[in-house]
Amino acid sequence: MTTHPALEVTGLTRTYGDGPNAVHALAGVDLAFAPGSFTAVMGPSGSGKSTFLNCAAGLERPSAGRVLVDGRDVTEDDEDARTRLRRERLGFVFQGFHLLPYLTAEQNVGLPLRLAGRRSDRARVRGLLERVGLADRAHHLPTALSGGQQQRVAIARALVTEPAVLLADEPTGALDTITAHEVLALLRDSVDTLGQTVVMVTHDPVAAAYADTVVFLVDGRVAGRMDGPTADAVAGQLAHLDQLTRVVAS
Amino acid sequence: MTGLAWASLRHRVTANASTFVSVLLGAALIGAFATLAQTGAGEVSADDAETLRIMGIVVGGWGSAIVLFSVASTLGITVRQRAEEVGLLRVVGATPRQVRRLVLAEAAVVTGVAAVLGALVAWPAGFVLLALLRNGGMVSDTVEYGGGPAALAVTVVLVVLTGLLAAAVTARRTTGGPATLAIAEARSGAGRMRWWRVLIGLLLVGYGVAMAVVTITVTAHDSDPYAAMSTSGSSSILVGIGLATLSPLLLRWLSSACAPAVGRTGVVGWLAAWNTSRRPHLLGAVLAPVIVLTAGAAGVLMLVGIDHRTIGAGHPEGDTINLLNNLVTGMIVVFAAVVVVNAFAAVVAGRRAELQRLRLLGATPTQVERSVLAEAGIVAGIGVLLGLVASLATVVPFAVARDEGVVPDGQLWLPVLVAVATVALTLVAARSAVRRLGPLTGAVR
Repeated sequence: MTTHPALEVTGLTRTYGDGPNAVHALAGVDLAFAPGSFTAVMGPSGSGKSTFLNCAAGLERPSAGRVLVDGRDVTEDDEDARTRLRRERLGFVFQGFHLLPYLTAEQNVGLPLRLAGRRSDRARVRGLLERVGLADRAHHLPTALSGGQQQRVAIARALVTEPAVLLADEPTGALDTITAHEVLALLRDSVDTLGQTVVMVTHDPVAAAYADTVVFLVDGRVAGRMDGPTADAVAGQLAHLDQLTRVVAS
Repeated sequence: MTGLAWASLRHRVTANASTFVSVLLGAALIGAFATLAQTGAGEVSADDAETLRIMGIVVGGWGSAIVLFSVASTLGITVRQRAEEVGLLRVVGATPRQVRRLVLAEAAVVTGVAAVLGALVAWPAGFVLLALLRNGGMVSDTVEYGGGPAALAVTVVLVVLTGLLAAAVTARRTTGGPATLAIAEARSGAGRMRWWRVLIGLLLVGYGVAMAVVTITVTAHDSDPYAAMSTSGSSSILVGIGLATLSPLLLRWLSSACAPAVGRTGVVGWLAAWNTSRRPHLLGAVLAPVIVLTAGAAGVLMLVGIDHRTIGAGHPEGDTINLLNNLVTGMIVVFAAVVVVNAFAAVVAGRRAELQRLRLLGATPTQVERSVLAEAGIVAGIGVLLGLVASLATVVPFAVARDEGVVPDGQLWLPVLVAVATVALTLVAARSAVRRLGPLTGAVR
């Protein structure tokens, strides 16, 4: 049996502007994420982390290269197909939570199902809220929840459609250390117990240490990877990358 | 602080343009009638002075009430939309007082410039209005246009003061409480209505209803057939403005009541139903002008119709009075329509990030647009319903007074027409507001 990577990018390039002023946010990135893996994508500011995530999510069209979700090439998809891709095959967790303020926790979790024209599966939504430890907050509006709780709701929402990949963009960026740990443990748990594939962009070595693998991006290229990362090892590698960028810049 | 206000003004073009247009149009309307009142105060015969005074003060007064209400509500939207930014400013160390000054400085610039431009439009508009009155034989041909700086200055001051008052009241609301709370509240758009606002709303509704009762019990039996009109004519607008003042409260109740039914129509209706019922202050600002538009148009047009059927056509005063009535109605309709469009533009512009979020989660552009249209539909439906109820405060007592009974003898298609036109206007306003946002793609954090 052949298994496709949950997410694969080949020769991914994204250029802003043209001519001598062109900025190469991504300059040929090849990455494959196996099903059930947890990968952290790290790099200094401007390394192309966010552009990579946006291209993978179909929010930005790459200048060159391909994006494959579950083995299917989605690079040439039109806007409608990308929208369907987002709501059926991808889950999102953002730094700013992005819950809808007028929907309860339970309604927020069920929203992707409803947008896809399906019925909100009550048992499934309840199960996920229980999983993230918020079963007793199901009927609260986001304003009545703490930042960490809101992010846990967002994780439940990202998992509700059983996506091929969960994309997380600095999911702990707005949280304190303790709630950040809870959120990261939840992501780790979804990989270990649900076999969820998670790709997380972060600049925090502690967050990256929860992943199986860390990929380092520098100037739009893959500059290295590390399996079984620890926070210290990642921090050390990052300091090294900073020197590398300085050499490249000068 | 002024520099910051200026930068923030340019940052929110759509919302501020909405306020600008409302204020400009409002100042032009009030100013035009103010010049009539000033003309009447000049060297004219007693009869002409009386006509011009009534025109300027009665019609102008009613127009002012509506215009000022609209300016206040549009400005209220722009200020409330800044709750998040206000929270941020508070967190980085701005005192509530500094934030209020920023908001007021911004409101002063927008309303000030718009009011002055409106007054410049009012001067020739008043001239045209007087020419119409002369041609219609309502004032003698010898009356010279006497509008000048005094009338226009009063107009500008009145409009700017109302704008500043509205901004101050809303700013106080958004800056109250500790700094962190301000950010949390920014995301809700909910919040309670102040007691005095509820009181004003109830007083206006109560006054309108009382006038309706007075019409049936007292003025209906007066020897002057227009006594009944003078007590009932304004009731629909009064009750309408009263209900509009209570709009967030009414929107919460009524949309909660219809939410389960609307929610079953699919995800689009479901989103719209929860948005209207859980954030009533947001769309309450659109509901308010819809109520006033419907109440004013249906009430006064029916009144004119009843008068025409009964005695108006043959009565010497009839023509003048009905011209006045039609002028008031025309003013209300034009103005409320502009406010509905503006209010929707301002509300939707402030929700860009939220609608973009829906797109990120996998809503299609059509789903996003339809959910805003569904909200407009809910608001229009509730607004038209409340507006028609308010119009009864004029229609029923006047029909009774003119012996047509509780239900008028004719033109029953008129309220239906008003309702259909208002709903259509609201939907078109919503659609153009969403379209103006452009494509909601790209990354957000």
